[in-house]
Amino acid sequence: MSDRSQALPAPEGEFVETSRFGGLSILFALLALVGLGLGVVGAMVDPAQFSFSWLFAFAFFFTLCAGCFFWTLVHHATDADWSVVVRRQLENIASLLAVMAVFLVPVLLLRHHLYGWMNIPPGHEEALDVKRPYLNWHFFLTRAIVFFAFFIIATQLLRRFSVRQDKDGNPRFTFWMRKLSFISLPMFALCLTFGACDWLMSLNYHWFSTMWGVYIFAGTAGSSMSLLVLVITALRNAGYLQDVVTVEHYHVMGKWMLTFTVFWAYIGFSQYMLIWYANMPEETQYFLVRNTESWWALSMLLVVGRFFGPFAILLMQGFKKRPRRLCLLAAWILCMQLLDMYVIVVPALHGTGVHVSIWDFVPLLGMGATLAFVYLRLLGRTSVFPVRDPRVIESINYQN
Amino acid sequence: MDSASTAPGVISDEKPLARVPLVLNKRNFSWLTERISGVVEQRAPRWWWVTFTITATIATFGLFCLGYQISTGVGTWGLNHPVGWAWDITNFVFWIGIGHAGTLISAILFLLRQKWRTSINRSAEAMTLFAVMCAAIFPGIHVGRVWMAWFLAPVPNSWGVWPNFRSPLMWDVFAVSTYFTVSVLFWYTGLIPDLATLRDRATSKIKKLLFGIFAVGWRGSNRNWRHYEMAYLLLAGISTPLVLSVHSVVSFDFATSILPTWHTTIFPPYFVAGAIFGGFAMVLTLMIPARAIFKLQDIITPQHIDKMAKIILLTGSFVTYAYTMEFFMAWYSGNQYEKFAFFNRVFGPYWWYWWVGMLFCNMLSPQLFWFKWCRRNIYVVYFVCMCVNAGMWFERFIIIVGGLHRDFLPSSWGMFYPTWVDIWTFIGTLGIFTSLFLLFIRFLPMIAMSEVKIVLPEANPHHGPTADHPPLVATGKERT
Repeated sequence: MSDRSQALPAPEGEFVETSRFGGLSILFALLALVGLGLGVVGAMVDPAQFSFSWLFAFAFFFTLCAGCFFWTLVHHATDADWSVVVRRQLENIASLLAVMAVFLVPVLLLRHHLYGWMNIPPGHEEALDVKRPYLNWHFFLTRAIVFFAFFIIATQLLRRFSVRQDKDGNPRFTFWMRKLSFISLPMFALCLTFGACDWLMSLNYHWFSTMWGVYIFAGTAGSSMSLLVLVITALRNAGYLQDVVTVEHYHVMGKWMLTFTVFWAYIGFSQYMLIWYANMPEETQYFLVRNTESWWALSMLLVVGRFFGPFAILLMQGFKKRPRRLCLLAAWILCMQLLDMYVIVVPALHGTGVHVSIWDFVPLLGMGATLAFVYLRLLGRTSVFPVRDPRVIESINYQN
Repeated sequence: MDSASTAPGVISDEKPLARVPLVLNKRNFSWLTERISGVVEQRAPRWWWVTFTITATIATFGLFCLGYQISTGVGTWGLNHPVGWAWDITNFVFWIGIGHAGTLISAILFLLRQKWRTSINRSAEAMTLFAVMCAAIFPGIHVGRVWMAWFLAPVPNSWGVWPNFRSPLMWDVFAVSTYFTVSVLFWYTGLIPDLATLRDRATSKIKKLLFGIFAVGWRGSNRNWRHYEMAYLLLAGISTPLVLSVHSVVSFDFATSILPTWHTTIFPPYFVAGAIFGGFAMVLTLMIPARAIFKLQDIITPQHIDKMAKIILLTGSFVTYAYTMEFFMAWYSGNQYEKFAFFNRVFGPYWWYWWVGMLFCNMLSPQLFWFKWCRRNIYVVYFVCMCVNAGMWFERFIIIVGGLHRDFLPSSWGMFYPTWVDIWTFIGTLGIFTSLFLLFIRFLPMIAMSEVKIVLPEANPHHGPTADHPPLVATGKERT
């Protein structure tokens, strides 16, 4: 690698020319309108199917945004140097959690189609009555508000401090962000865990697993790192971050993708194996549905596609240093995250086999396009990397 | 920080963000060699003999207890119905857990490019080996007929009996033995350059011969280093899944059952986090006195202690998270047996194990490490480490005995009372562990000299002397 010790970014930073993405923005806005408009139709035509399709898309995009929030927190808490140059994009994507809060509203509105426990009056099922103090609508709603309040406040503050540091380079902001991240890490763990329990695990209120929060986290962290690779590469292809992000950063991102590929498999395997081994009906019901009929094929695809394939490929050092190839795998991992969320959510509706509906695609389109539109708006407002972060030079010159 | 590493437009003083050197007081290669080799080359100090005599005596009594138990039978322990596992397996899990920090520091932190690991990895790895040795004693002897332990190996015998490959106890044998083998290889590979240093400095023929044999012809050539670094990286890669697998498999011993408090899906990562938690506490327990006695404060600096304290905080917090999830899911499941078992954990006859061991020692005491002044105060750090050492033993005890002593049938409930053999076998393993560690620091370099030298600024190829990169002093004298 050439010597980069003299590389210095321009003090004013690197800004995206928003006019370049004007057309793309309009396209996303149109797609969002179409997607969300069709979503309204779907909610009226086939509310049961649409509820699950919406929740599936929500879970996918929520985990991606929450994962980027997690990586921002880890960056600050560990005082990392490599991730400075990619941090602004993490902050931008994490800020989209505010949009995700809006997308939770349909889940709340369609709750009676999603969560069977909401339709059972007290006194009808003892197994449910014992968990009523937790599984009741008011507490469910309160928790959702608390979780998103935390996500929104923390992500907005982190981004705001980071952007303010672009102006004067004051290291005071670094310390503020670090402190905020320390406080946020345990909060993040609790909010993600109980969010996952509320929105996903309680689809079947009989089922439970202490590993559930960790399992969702494992997919969250790995897929968001893959998303970061794609976003950074897209920016580089558009001519930005050229002298800032190097193959060394790709190598690190690839290593984190590998780490969380393995971690996801470790957590998934442990959860599955322990439930299979103990063979208790109250636990096996979750996997019985997903391992029988046509769901079996998707579950197997997940095992092979989310772990065995990426694991073997990411072991190779050279692969991680080739952005184009890494992007292909990152896109594949995102597809697998999509599949993972599908296999978690939709079997709760179609327990007898895979039943793909047109409504599965509509929320994906609507949410994805809206998030992409807002992301492009955020992208143009600040430098594409935190130009006056005290560690930015260390980051640019980072070597594995 | 020099100007080349300062961001443009920064207006304030950046001192607090400057990276603190890993070795303080600008110590050079020569000083490191002298100071670390000196520990091995000088005569053993009096305190060493006194301490070794005490620990070796305890170890000997522990070995006597083992002999007594083997010759008489497991009836010498306090095991009964329903408590068929107690101190034996508690001690096993406790020691295996302690054996996790060494390989974590050596392998995972190596892969994560955490250069601060170099000051502590050697002794942590040695500690790992000794802890695994202590751990291996217990499954071996708890089977009762130790002479039949070879049945654990998948060897066909005259009765055509094979081990039950579906049993996690069987997996344990493979997991622990693989872990121990790879840890020995990793530790020894890292030792080779330092053994060569000791060989070259040896003043007696016998020392030269012995260090020479074990240094396997190391000459420090470019070729030697290339092979060494490749081997080290590969071993780090192999060790990393092993660190996770060993305690995961240990957790399977419990979690594959259907016993309340044992069967819970979060056990594997929870056990691994707990192991790293306890392992780091033990590393600090040993290294804090060692650095003071051997005046190694410039190598094992407050920064190292601070970072280890943060890992204790992180893993301790994950353990707290796991405890919380266990309680929450026990309640959420609506399963009366689960609910009772956890209620019994907190308010049953072993209540104080939970309140003191799990709540105070494991959950609350590491929270002190949120505060920098606690991480920088050696007494506070030591206090927390001792809490964690005790807390992790209590945790294993309450998981094992707490899960067994009041099971599904109230008429078969019972209590566990340890006998003197139980107690002294455990204390004996503490003696074996400390004796082996004392022998280690006497005969082998307790800090990886070659690795610490690599993280000095002098070892970094650069364009010329700067504030961070002073010119190499070749005189071998101490630069202050």
